[in-house]
Amino acid sequence: MKPAMKVVLAWLPLFLVPLVLHNEVVLTILVFTFILGILAVSFNLIFGYTGQLSMFHAAAFGIAAYATHLSMAHLGVSFWIGMALAVLVVSALSLVVGTICFRFKLKEFYFAIVTLAFSEMARLVILNWGSFTNGSLGINLNSKPTLWLPGGSIPVEGTRMWYYLSLTALIATVAVVTRVVHSWMGRAFAAIRINDELADTLGIDVFRYKLVSFAIGNAGAAVAGALYAFYLSYIEPGYLSIEQSLAIVAMALLGGRDWVVGPIVGALILTALPHVIELSAEARILVYGLILIVTILALPRGIAGVFARRRRVL
Amino acid sequence: MLQLVVGQLLNGVIIGTLYGIIALGVTLTFGITGIVNFALGAFMAIGAYVGWYLTDGLGIAYPAAIPLAVCATALMGLLADQTLFRFTRNNLINGLIVSIGLISVIESVLLMLWTTTPKNMHYVLPGVIDFGWFIVPRMKGVVFLVLLAVILATYAALTRTWTGRAAYAYAQAPEAALLMGVRTRLLETGVVVYSTALAGLGGALYASLYSLEVSLGSSYILKGVEAAILAGIGSVMGSLMGGILLGVTEAVGSIFFPQAYRDAYGLVFLVLVLLFRPAGLFGARR
Repeated sequence: MKPAMKVVLAWLPLFLVPLVLHNEVVLTILVFTFILGILAVSFNLIFGYTGQLSMFHAAAFGIAAYATHLSMAHLGVSFWIGMALAVLVVSALSLVVGTICFRFKLKEFYFAIVTLAFSEMARLVILNWGSFTNGSLGINLNSKPTLWLPGGSIPVEGTRMWYYLSLTALIATVAVVTRVVHSWMGRAFAAIRINDELADTLGIDVFRYKLVSFAIGNAGAAVAGALYAFYLSYIEPGYLSIEQSLAIVAMALLGGRDWVVGPIVGALILTALPHVIELSAEARILVYGLILIVTILALPRGIAGVFARRRRVL
Repeated sequence: MLQLVVGQLLNGVIIGTLYGIIALGVTLTFGITGIVNFALGAFMAIGAYVGWYLTDGLGIAYPAAIPLAVCATALMGLLADQTLFRFTRNNLINGLIVSIGLISVIESVLLMLWTTTPKNMHYVLPGVIDFGWFIVPRMKGVVFLVLLAVILATYAALTRTWTGRAAYAYAQAPEAALLMGVRTRLLETGVVVYSTALAGLGGALYASLYSLEVSLGSSYILKGVEAAILAGIGSVMGSLMGGILLGVTEAVGSIFFPQAYRDAYGLVFLVLVLLFRPAGLFGARR
């Protein structure tokens, strides 16, 4: 059986959870986990699989959130068309940013810094373009996505509906990423991660595959951004903050960057943790910092690494 | 108009030396231990809070409080090095994440000790220096001179003493330096601690000029990293020049362009330098 098919089948039981579990809080945590999971899994395609520490992910997430809303408000399209437009916009921007970074062969820290710089510029534009984005106050979103079902369309409202929607989107993302990393492309990504000069010598078009990985990853972040914004019904420039980028890196590292689904574990822990233990705001920051430090020093392969027997090769 | 430009130019230079002192720490840490210590901004906050507490809380004279604050910060730096950074040598991503985790830890401890209320130190040195057609607050002048002296002294120490040459040698060829009798582990720890002490000094001086909040270092570490890259990682005098250049670009840029995009001017400049002169503006000597 193909790996991507396996993923879909393995995840199907999760659709049954809301039937047996009626706890609103737990379901809400799971919805956030699924949406942030999309973000973390797609980031990990760039970071864990292609070996590029991108700091542009929060920007892709936030730009898509704004682009979806703005195209709905100003072009009058539905949520789904808006999301598709946002994915297009983000992919186009990724191609521009990626082309600049990879054409000039920026690596490691320099790549992280330049993507961070572009991310900050995007945040400053959104923060200061008041007439479109309402600046630092953000925008309350009143509309909801609608689903077409036999017998009419229904708005996606309530935790249960969002659970199914976000889970479907997450499974689709995991399936796509699994498909990509098991393909010829995935092998090229791995070669670039392990040694990009050698990959170049072997005839792999390093520039092109880095760019493809960057664009696919950011497109995933765009889907997550659109969903997150409309689940929360609120967008603000904080979506594009450096803290948001770092939280994504933390999810990938905490969960395990060597596995496609690893970052979802990280997303679950970082989302659930504040709800599981009652903490003051200060203590919460402290715990967050300690988790990062302990994960890196004690579990360099993340939580998934504890359960996996061997390191993946690809 | 000219007066405004000159005034902003001076402001930019003074802020720029603060960027420069952080950039110097970034450059030294990167050159010797191969990581970028993003927590230097948080160490700056430690220096600032301890300096403020010693002066306004315990009533110690400010000139005596500064060295004490620097020592306290360096002690924290030693602790961080021995418990954390010792395990992330030459591992850029791990070092990055650990230092980011450390920022959260330091900020939360500062919050628990001194709450979120912004702190303002009393005016240590009121008055201005009058240059005829523009004025500089005295304290800003002092801060500028102290930081300048420390950066120049660091440069002198690195180029004129055995330890300094050992550091350069280690940055170029770690194994050869080890074979030549450089105590490399001590050197690594020393550089991490020294860079936190520099940040602590920046913070203690910052406390006399601006109001304090726990995240005060976050913009300075970003500017410090920008300045270090702008100058070319590894260049000591370059980090001073890079800091000043960045400070001036922002201050003068916000006269002619919208103030709201102040932070973006430095970023655009940085991206252009990285694309067209990846070794930085001031060469690649480590």
